[in-house]
Order: sequence, then structure tokens, then C-alpha cells
Amino acid sequence: MKNILSLLMIATISICSYGQGTQLEDTEVASVAVVANQIDIDYAQIALKKSDNKEIREFANRMVNDHKAVIGQAAALVKKLGVDPKDNVVSQSLLKDAQETIKKLKRTSKRQFDMAYINNEVTYHKAVINAINSVLIPETENDELKQLLSDVVPALEAHLGHAEMVQKNIKSH
Amino acid sequence: MKPFVAKITVSAIVLFTLFMEIWAYNNYSGNTEPPTKHTVKIFRMKFIPDHLTVKKGDTVEWINKDFYQHDVTDEKNKEWTSSPFNQNETWSKVITKDEQYFCNLHKTMKGAIDIK
Repeated sequence: MKNILSLLMIATISICSYGQGTQLEDTEVASVAVVANQIDIDYAQIALKKSDNKEIREFANRMVNDHKAVIGQAAALVKKLGVDPKDNVVSQSLLKDAQETIKKLKRTSKRQFDMAYINNEVTYHKAVINAINSVLIPETENDELKQLLSDVVPALEAHLGHAEMVQKNIKSH
Repeated sequence: MKPFVAKITVSAIVLFTLFMEIWAYNNYSGNTEPPTKHTVKIFRMKFIPDHLTVKKGDTVEWINKDFYQHDVTDEKNKEWTSSPFNQNETWSKVITKDEQYFCNLHKTMKGAIDIK
């Protein structure tokens, strides 16, 4: 569990530190947004395979649907703007860290999985909200992309609130 | 009964009945204003407004302006639900009592309706 949290902390630091040290172009910001959403879908897919807990499965299904919707919006926007999301150090770092977290989640025993997954979700959403507000939105020049990022934040906050509710319920069982 | 008295009596009964019907109609209309339709926008993960006061029998229509699916569900016992609906879709309910509701997909989203 500590390892997973450590990886997430590294991911948070990665987004913020890389973002602050490197000027991201809008196409790179779009790539980071897509990658960050896809990572949470990947985490949810593991939960749907490993967990029988109703609340966890309900939450994971919601993550799949909502993050797919964000990726759909981002894809429609880059198509409209006639650009492609551009791979960059931040998205690569996020993917690398996510791969480690995925390995850990897959190795976690079924008994401990629900708590590990939901703790991961709480930490990940906090990290992504912080990164969008402090790095991605300020770095974005295109107004429509900036608006999309801004529109995503309330959903991430709702996910965080939902994750914290599930976390509390699982802890009390 | 003399014809004159009979005429007067019939006229009085007709007038009384007419008067009572007019009174009943006015009284009835005064108590039942036509139902009103209220709109709640769902936007950026919030019900806007999140609190409404309506007359019994009014209709509330929720419109989803987010690109995520939402639903509108009775918070206490899940006695009623809209089922999930998409962006720019609407769902309506006639309100007959105070209601507390939430989005069962995004459980932190909540709203309430009071009957005035």
C-alpha cells in the first residue's frame, strides 16, 4: 500500500515539476489530459476484474464512463483544431508511473484490493485536480482547451468526493 | 300553488342555483392555479438551482447540460429515479410532496424541492 501511495506522490510531483520546468504546448497539454484520463480507466478495468464489492464496481464503472466522455471531448476538440496530441515528458512520466501502480494493484491480494484501489483513486484524483489547476490550465493558450480543462475539474472533484465516501464505507466494514 | 307564486319560486330556485354554480366555480378556480413548469439545469456537476419551492402539482424538468450522464433519484429510499440521461436530454416529474434527490451516478450531487 505504501508503495502505491509513493508512486502516486511521484506521479503528482512529476506532473507539477515537469510542468513547471517545461513549457507545455497546447498539443502536449491535450496529450497529458488524454493520458491522465486513460490511466484512471486502466485502474478501473483492474478493479472490475478483481473486486466483487458493489460500491467499488459501481465507482469503477463510473470512472470508465466519465473518463471516456472526457477523452471523447478532447478528441473532438483536437480534431476541430486540426492538431494531434503530442507525446511529451509529462505524459511519458505519467504512463511510466501508472505502469508501476498497475503492477502493484494486480499483485495486491483480493482481500486487500478494494482498499488499495480506492486509496489510489483518492490520491490520484487529488493529484490530477492539483495538476490541472496549477499547471495545465495556466500553461494552456487555446481558450477552448482551457475551457475543457476547467469543465473537467468539477467532475474530478465529484469523483474525489465519491471515492472518499467509498473509502470511508470500506474502512468501517 | 298560484301560477304567479310558482313562477317566482322557480325563478328563485334557478337564480339560487346559478349563483351557487358561479360561486363554486370562482372558489374552485381560485384554489387551483394552473400547474407551473420549473427547470433545473444540471451543469458542472451541480443541480442549478439546488433548492426549489413549488406548488403541489407543478412539474420540474431537469436538463442535462454536462457531457457526462446524470440521473435524478430519490435520495432517501430510491423510490423513484429518472435512469441515466445524456447531454441536452431532459426528464420531468410532477411534484406532489417535498423531495430530496441526488444523482445516483455522482453521489455528491444533491438537490431538494419543497411544496409551498
